[in-house]
Amino acid sequence: MTSLTRDPLLWILLVVLVAAVVAVMRARRTNMALRRTRKDLEAGLGEARGDVGQLHTHIAGLTAQHQRDLADVRADAEAATKAVLKSAMGTLQSLAEEQQVLLDGLLKKYGDTTDVLADLMTVDHTGSQFGRRAKGISVLCGGWLGRREGAATVYDVARSAQGRIRDFDRVGVHSQVNVSLIGKAVEPVAVVLAELLDNATTYSAPGTPVEVNIQTVPTGVCFIVDDAGLGMDQETKDRAAALLAVDGPVDITGLGDPPRFGFAVCGMLAARYGFAVSVGSVSPYGGVRAVIRVPESLLAAEVPAPAAPQDAEGTEAAPQRLAPVPVVGPSHVVGTTSGGLPKRRRRNGPVTVVPALDTAGRQETSEPASEVTASRIGAFARGTQLGRTTNTTEGPDNK
Amino acid sequence: MTRPGEEASVTSDFVRSYVITGGRTLPAPDDLALHTLVTLAPERTPPLGAGPEVMAIWELCAGGYLSVAEVAGHVGLPVGVARLLLTDLSEQGHLLRRAEPPRAQNVDRATLEKVLHGLQSLIG
Repeated sequence: MTSLTRDPLLWILLVVLVAAVVAVMRARRTNMALRRTRKDLEAGLGEARGDVGQLHTHIAGLTAQHQRDLADVRADAEAATKAVLKSAMGTLQSLAEEQQVLLDGLLKKYGDTTDVLADLMTVDHTGSQFGRRAKGISVLCGGWLGRREGAATVYDVARSAQGRIRDFDRVGVHSQVNVSLIGKAVEPVAVVLAELLDNATTYSAPGTPVEVNIQTVPTGVCFIVDDAGLGMDQETKDRAAALLAVDGPVDITGLGDPPRFGFAVCGMLAARYGFAVSVGSVSPYGGVRAVIRVPESLLAAEVPAPAAPQDAEGTEAAPQRLAPVPVVGPSHVVGTTSGGLPKRRRRNGPVTVVPALDTAGRQETSEPASEVTASRIGAFARGTQLGRTTNTTEGPDNK
Repeated sequence: MTRPGEEASVTSDFVRSYVITGGRTLPAPDDLALHTLVTLAPERTPPLGAGPEVMAIWELCAGGYLSVAEVAGHVGLPVGVARLLLTDLSEQGHLLRRAEPPRAQNVDRATLEKVLHGLQSLIG
């Protein structure tokens, strides 16, 4: 036994054994500690993941809210801008209209002074373009165009539109149609046609013609605008189609800088008044063909008298003419003599024909002799009077 | 959206005068002065594609001599514009023109009295 205890190997074995036990114990403790830590960490991770998920939903909510708020603010800003612009444009519109009325007067006043008249016409032309712009912006902001009393022929509508663009002398209007638009539709159609003509002249080479053809179709009447430009690419066509189909407020800030109002104005007015505008087919000249189709409901039943100013002045303003001097002519030949010479009627009226100023009955030769004499003396008196003054007296003689 | 009465009435001339002239240069006034008398030549047909203004002038001038000023007044156009349209018609041979009648010379009182006495004795 002692030998055994003295055996160093045994002691070494014992020491190793103790050491191993201690090591195992420590390892086990460490392992357990690590397991605990891992569990803690896993729990923490799960928690953190949950938090992140929550945060994500929160952020999504906030973003949506933000978008909504932004849209609201934009809409508010747009509405406020539009309201301001509409009111400002209304002022400009009425000023432009005032200027046109003023120019109407001036054009007549200086009508005989060729130079002044020509200059006034250029001013008038600029004013008309200005008026169209103001009207366009006003319409996009929910404003109104102003209403024409009375119908206008489609030909006049086309010519009015023609007058509102810069290169009006490149436009040719061809109408075989004798149809009129009702007063309500006159300005909108003219403004839309002017926008289409403006596009057509702007996007085609200078000097090339732009044609307006007016045709009746079973459902109304069509204004067809053809230009000889390069046509539109697909992107422009899509943009035009989108703007023309719009039925509601237009985002005026999205029209570019400089803003291109044209198609937006067309779409807006077409929707508001119930006619149709289409752009995008190819014109016979290789350019763009734009068509306005006005339905029958916007056509007037009756054609207005061709010369409106005449009607306005009423019946008393019937032109007071100098009748052609009754020179001996074919009208007085009443037959032929046996010799083949023309037989003429004896003239029994006064030679110089002077318009009767006071009575409607003139040259009544079957009156009693004294009245004939009186009327001749009257005619003589009027004749000398007329000879002294010029015969350019204007307006009716209110005697 | 459609509030009645919101739309102001527009009264300016619908077709502007530079469109009627087609942007052409206006003729000088000496050819067709304000008081030059014009009428339609007999047996003419209106030119093809004549605008409403030309047709209005055509109808006015068909009835006898009218001065340029009167024509302009009745069709409601500035004189220069009416003159351009009249010049067109004239160049196409549709118009007859007559200068204004010369002003009467002033006659002395004695002659007028003699005429008066003569007339009185005639009517007797």
